[in-house]
Amino acid sequence: MSSQHKPRNWPAWTFLGTVLAFLYVPLLPPAIRSFSGLEPGQGELTHYAAIFDDPVLIGSILNTLLIGSLVAVITPVLALLISQALRSWKAPRLILGLVLLPLFIPGVSMGVATALFFRVLGIDPSLLTMMVVQVLWALPFATLVILTVMANFDQTYLEAAHMLGANPLRAFLEIELPQIYQGILGAAIFSLILSFNETIRTSIVQGGRNTVQTYLWAQYQQVGLSPKLHALMTLLIAATLIMLALMALLESRTSGSRQ
Amino acid sequence: MSVSGKSSVARLFAFGIPLVTVGAFILAPIAIMAVISFWQKTGFSMRPAFVLDAYRAFLGGVRFEVFIRSLWVATSSMVIMLLIAYPVAFLIATRVRPDLVRTVLFLFSVPFLVNYILRTFAWADILGRSGAVNSFVLWLGITEQPLDWLLYSQFSVYLGLVTAYMPFMVFPIWLSLSGIDRRLQEASWMLGEGPRHTFLRVTLPLSLPGVFAAAIFGFVGAFGEFAVSTILGGTGYQLLGNSIVSALDVINYPLAAAMSTFTVGLMAVLMLFWFRLFDLRLFLGKIMGRS
Repeated sequence: MSSQHKPRNWPAWTFLGTVLAFLYVPLLPPAIRSFSGLEPGQGELTHYAAIFDDPVLIGSILNTLLIGSLVAVITPVLALLISQALRSWKAPRLILGLVLLPLFIPGVSMGVATALFFRVLGIDPSLLTMMVVQVLWALPFATLVILTVMANFDQTYLEAAHMLGANPLRAFLEIELPQIYQGILGAAIFSLILSFNETIRTSIVQGGRNTVQTYLWAQYQQVGLSPKLHALMTLLIAATLIMLALMALLESRTSGSRQ
Repeated sequence: MSVSGKSSVARLFAFGIPLVTVGAFILAPIAIMAVISFWQKTGFSMRPAFVLDAYRAFLGGVRFEVFIRSLWVATSSMVIMLLIAYPVAFLIATRVRPDLVRTVLFLFSVPFLVNYILRTFAWADILGRSGAVNSFVLWLGITEQPLDWLLYSQFSVYLGLVTAYMPFMVFPIWLSLSGIDRRLQEASWMLGEGPRHTFLRVTLPLSLPGVFAAAIFGFVGAFGEFAVSTILGGTGYQLLGNSIVSALDVINYPLAAAMSTFTVGLMAVLMLFWFRLFDLRLFLGKIMGRS
């Protein structure tokens, strides 16, 4: 809806709408494919059921869930500590530059770097190495999310707590944390989403284990995409959208309570 | 700061340890990779040395073609991405009602968060000979034959790259546009400049820190790309990411390291320019809530 004071707003919205349409259209085809190619007599959800008949795929789903939950716990904690360091130390440019660095390195290059790093250290590819590369990938985003909520927190409260005799840890736990925890939760969901959607960094350090995404990419390269894989993609897209909706809900509640 | 000695030591550990760990996990792999790029390939492994074999293999031969193509594709697609992302960010910063800004930004970030490989698969589906676009064009009767320049072409590669990386470029540009002090624009108006001059001489220059950050992100992403080129480029079409993965496949670690190091080096040079050219306080202040 455009406001009445600016009658010429419709070209702007048309442009934004067109760009958005181009971005959202690719989310649809997997869902359409996942219901296609059904033999007569087969149920609508045949291709979805096939996902759970594939032991390799079930294994990679479990790996994805395990790695995802670890990434979702570790990343926000690191991001919180780094954001606190950013605020209290004198070199915010340097620290932020370091944390944001993985954003600007192509996934293939970062994957090669970490793979060689683990190799030189004698660490074999495992679920742990897969988790580490995903934490490094999610960290810049989680840090930005937490920095944004921390920016809305008025630091004079901490000074007041300090003057009343609270030590910094207690002041943080009792005053700041209750006000920013929804942002931390948001960073956790964000990290989970990024973990669920990461392919190349993970696939270079995967060894014999698979996540859903590396399995999908390997299958595409070896045999091509089947209706079952389209069903899998549909579930992945749906899971991502649900998590994003959850994040949006959290966000609207935070900004709602502030008004 | 008037914090007591004991708690500042505790703080040093609480913040220092994670920061050093994270720093080590980001910088050490890049450093080791740079070192390995000078090592020698031996059979199925490598040994420490100081030779330029890997760089020679990279810069002479077929891989050089891939390198030049990646450079061109990355530069041109980055320009296209900016031409879309800048107006988007500008409209969000100037035309969208303040209470809707967050929602619109959110709408732009949703597709970015769905793995772009899945979205690229979908483009192959949409653009194929029996895909949605061709079905529609045939149904309209515009052509007799399906259009075959839609898929496995320059067009599809650029479309894939733009939809993969452009959404995330909106955010930094919006960040620097919305951080501009309105009074500067008003001053320009009052001094008699029209809207076009005000934009070119005040708004655009002040938004460059965000534009440059977005440009680096899009450029480096497209430069090291592997999935879009594999899925939408057709047989044999390679960008630098494919070249790196193929070096890994033949267990030539020094070569993969050399190509990756080159990419990271290029990124580092661009980042250095970014830090040198611009006053990033406005940009950072916006993120960290200082102005």
